[in-house]
Amino acid sequence: MPPKSTYSRRKRRILKFALASLALLIVAGMIFVVYLDRIVTPQFEGRRWTLPAKVYAQPLELYVGMPMSAAQIEEELERIHYRNVDDLKRPGTYRRRGNRIDLATRRVRFADEVRPAQTLSITTDTHAIVALRDANGEDVPVFRLDPLLIGSIFPIHGEDRLVVTPDEVPELLTRALIVTEDRKFMSHGGVDFEAVLRAAWVNLRAGRIEQGGSTLTQQLVKSYFLDDRQTLWRKFKEAIMAMILEARFEKDDLLNAYVNEIYLGQDGRRAIHGFGLASRFYFGKPLTELDLPETALLVAMVRGPSYYDPRRSLERARARRNLVLKQMGDFNVVPRPEAERAMRAPIRITGGVTEGYYPAYLDFVRRTLRRDYEEADLTEAGLQIFTSLDARVQALAEKSLLQELERLDRVRKEKGDPLEGSVVVTEPQSGDVIAIVGGRQAGFDGFNRALDSSRSIGSLAKPIVYLAALESGRYTAASVVPDEPIEVKLSRTQVWKPVNFTKDFAGPVPLVRALAQSLNLATVHLGLDVGLPRITRTFQRLGLQEQPARNPSLILGGVDLTPMQVTQLYNSLANGGFRTPLRAVRSVVSADGTPLKAFPVEVTPAADPAAVHQLNRMLVLAMEHGTGQSARARLPPQIIVAGKTGTSSDYRDSWFAGFSGSHLAVVWVGYDDNRPTGLTGSAGALTVWANLLARLNTTSWDGALLPDGLEDRTIEFPTGLAVRPECGEDVVVVPVPRNAELPSKPGCGESVIKDLADRAKEWWEGVTR
Amino acid sequence: MKLRFSAASARAFVARFRGIAALGGILLLSVLLAGCATNPYDIPPRPGKAPPGAPPEIPTEPESRPEVPPEAEPVPPRAPRTREHQLSAATRSLVAQAQSQAAAGNFPVAAASVERALRIEPSNPLLWIELGKVRQAEGNFAQAESMGRKALSLAVGDARAQASAWRLIAESLRSRGRVQQAQEAQAAADALVPR
Repeated sequence: MPPKSTYSRRKRRILKFALASLALLIVAGMIFVVYLDRIVTPQFEGRRWTLPAKVYAQPLELYVGMPMSAAQIEEELERIHYRNVDDLKRPGTYRRRGNRIDLATRRVRFADEVRPAQTLSITTDTHAIVALRDANGEDVPVFRLDPLLIGSIFPIHGEDRLVVTPDEVPELLTRALIVTEDRKFMSHGGVDFEAVLRAAWVNLRAGRIEQGGSTLTQQLVKSYFLDDRQTLWRKFKEAIMAMILEARFEKDDLLNAYVNEIYLGQDGRRAIHGFGLASRFYFGKPLTELDLPETALLVAMVRGPSYYDPRRSLERARARRNLVLKQMGDFNVVPRPEAERAMRAPIRITGGVTEGYYPAYLDFVRRTLRRDYEEADLTEAGLQIFTSLDARVQALAEKSLLQELERLDRVRKEKGDPLEGSVVVTEPQSGDVIAIVGGRQAGFDGFNRALDSSRSIGSLAKPIVYLAALESGRYTAASVVPDEPIEVKLSRTQVWKPVNFTKDFAGPVPLVRALAQSLNLATVHLGLDVGLPRITRTFQRLGLQEQPARNPSLILGGVDLTPMQVTQLYNSLANGGFRTPLRAVRSVVSADGTPLKAFPVEVTPAADPAAVHQLNRMLVLAMEHGTGQSARARLPPQIIVAGKTGTSSDYRDSWFAGFSGSHLAVVWVGYDDNRPTGLTGSAGALTVWANLLARLNTTSWDGALLPDGLEDRTIEFPTGLAVRPECGEDVVVVPVPRNAELPSKPGCGESVIKDLADRAKEWWEGVTR
Repeated sequence: MKLRFSAASARAFVARFRGIAALGGILLLSVLLAGCATNPYDIPPRPGKAPPGAPPEIPTEPESRPEVPPEAEPVPPRAPRTREHQLSAATRSLVAQAQSQAAAGNFPVAAASVERALRIEPSNPLLWIELGKVRQAEGNFAQAESMGRKALSLAVGDARAQASAWRLIAESLRSRGRVQQAQEAQAAADALVPR
């Protein structure tokens, strides 16, 4: 039957065509899925926080005689999240009764030993620890507190994010999230079709978008590509991507990625991503310490971080938070009465200060480790990294810088971007870097000025020139150089005519005065006589990696260095002429506790200790008699410090580098765009430095360690002439090589015998004439 | 000023009684003035030269004074102050811990223990010597010598610590076959505190 056969043939053809189309569609669909997979999977992999290296600050060592009061110890315990309780049972708690603190410590694995959980009692007087005893009342000579966890190392760089690992995410938060945003999270495959239909129905009836049906996974995908356009095509792509992620990864990984990814607010130009940073930003504490109302508030803000921002509308934020709390009660996340109590809690947020987040320091740690480790080792192997950071000093450095910059901005009322600054603090003998402040907003992972801002160092170069002069053996602190105009021919057409800060000149001056008063002309005369090769070599011996250009302007600091490079140079001075690599990382330990790598203290003789002693004594006099004088009023009077101001041309950079017996701090203040600041080193940076040192509880630089071969001599500060201590005006004591020939002031000579003998000789000549 | 007055009266004295009497007066005055001369370092720039936290100055015990053999090199010139460094209870226990760790051959951990002590007393030469000994034992001779030199720079006025530092330096030099320099370092140690 032809019609039938025609019919069936046609039917077959249609069927074939349909099958072919279907196959094509399936292939196209598969290609599309593969294409989307190529986009979303690397994105997720690149941000998956598997087992990042954990970074710890240096632990506090407690011992009898340690200068800490009970209140200060309590502060440190709070910092490492010990809780004040009445009944000491659980590890991680303490109890204070006046000057006595009892604590139940946690089990801690250090790089060199495992310390079991134990109890310890500390007794102090008003300013120091007087007794340390264990549970049996036995004396404990020294005890290490738990190190503070300061962060983790994650695959992404340069992004401002305080990433948390799954074990740092409280269950309360994840359950609140699921109940509020995606109740079927644990069971769906990326898309909750029922929720989509329900949302579509609600929105259709309302005539506008009122309800979202997005799963957490879809929200995660959406935030990866940061596109707010709500087209249907986009939604479709998002849904496919969400299903791909669900198929490829575990729920826990997705949830953790969500916790670290989601957008939760804005701080000026800075976006707050992730609950870790948001918790610091809104409440000033780590995620693990949030209470119920605080957790609910953060979850509430997911829906609209700007709309529900409590700083914009407390009422809207409260209403949304209470809705979250109600649902938490309804779905048994928390008992209903507890949820109701939390609804009555006031909303308290801190001023957006992210304390306890050290991006500049972590940056330095990461750079140190990158030399020895593959990126994957750091982000996936679960390493433990023990660093030198001292959280107390870091907090003081941040505070000292911010306070002074804010004060300067207030009094100067300059337009444009605000003043910036950075601080590096070390313990000079070990080279431990204990604090790094990368900018005035220390909790902001942005431009790390301490490591990356190379600026002209100005007079900070002078001590290196003077050290080269002292080491040459041709100069002492009392040697006289001319502070007079000079012209240096740089090329056939170029002549360099340096001037003094005061535009004046002082005539013949001793080295000690030229350095203390930072006289440019005297220093240029000295530097040219010593010779540029010797000066550049001294720079390198003290720790500068690359040889600075042999340009005469180097003598006055015409070289761009970062605060960290300056710190390395001055650390060698503060360390008595021994170079020590600046170190942030002390040791790296594997996930199972095996020590992998240690960065031990290393010292290398870099300069003659006697010459460095002479230089450092001159730098002490710079603080007492010279450019550093204004610091004196801020520092405890008995503390001896040494230091040097630096100001680059046109006041673009204000520097100060100085040290006590136990700390070196380098401070830079200026504008990022290199505009002139109008500040000298002693106006901006020195104030920050002095305020910091005054708060540090530091020890004096020890000038009593007079090396063999040197002796102290009294000279006149203005002229350099040797005098008897009680004779002459404006005298200072400087160390000089033993038996150095110093010209004496007539009638004031050091040796009375010689003085009087001279007179006797004169008289005798008078008699016999 | 009292001393200026003395000088002036000396001049008057000289003017009045010329000759031998004058010379006698000069001698007398010199003795007087030398007697009241003070340690110049104690005048300017600031009071409080003994920093808080510095180890107390303990006069060296008489029997620890080096007996210099007549044929040895002259003793280094008198140091301005003598002090004898000691370890506190905390650092002593850490050093003891380090020594037993080093004896067990666990040098990195031993070094870490000394570093803990150094964090408490960074300017104590005895601790730098201990760290140098760990480095020497593990075969890092260059660092052992550097630690010795660092200790030496901190041991001003402490003959015993200086001698230990020189011994460490001598040992590290010997280990590298620098026999001549090692002998000189050893001699420096023996001159300070005879073995």
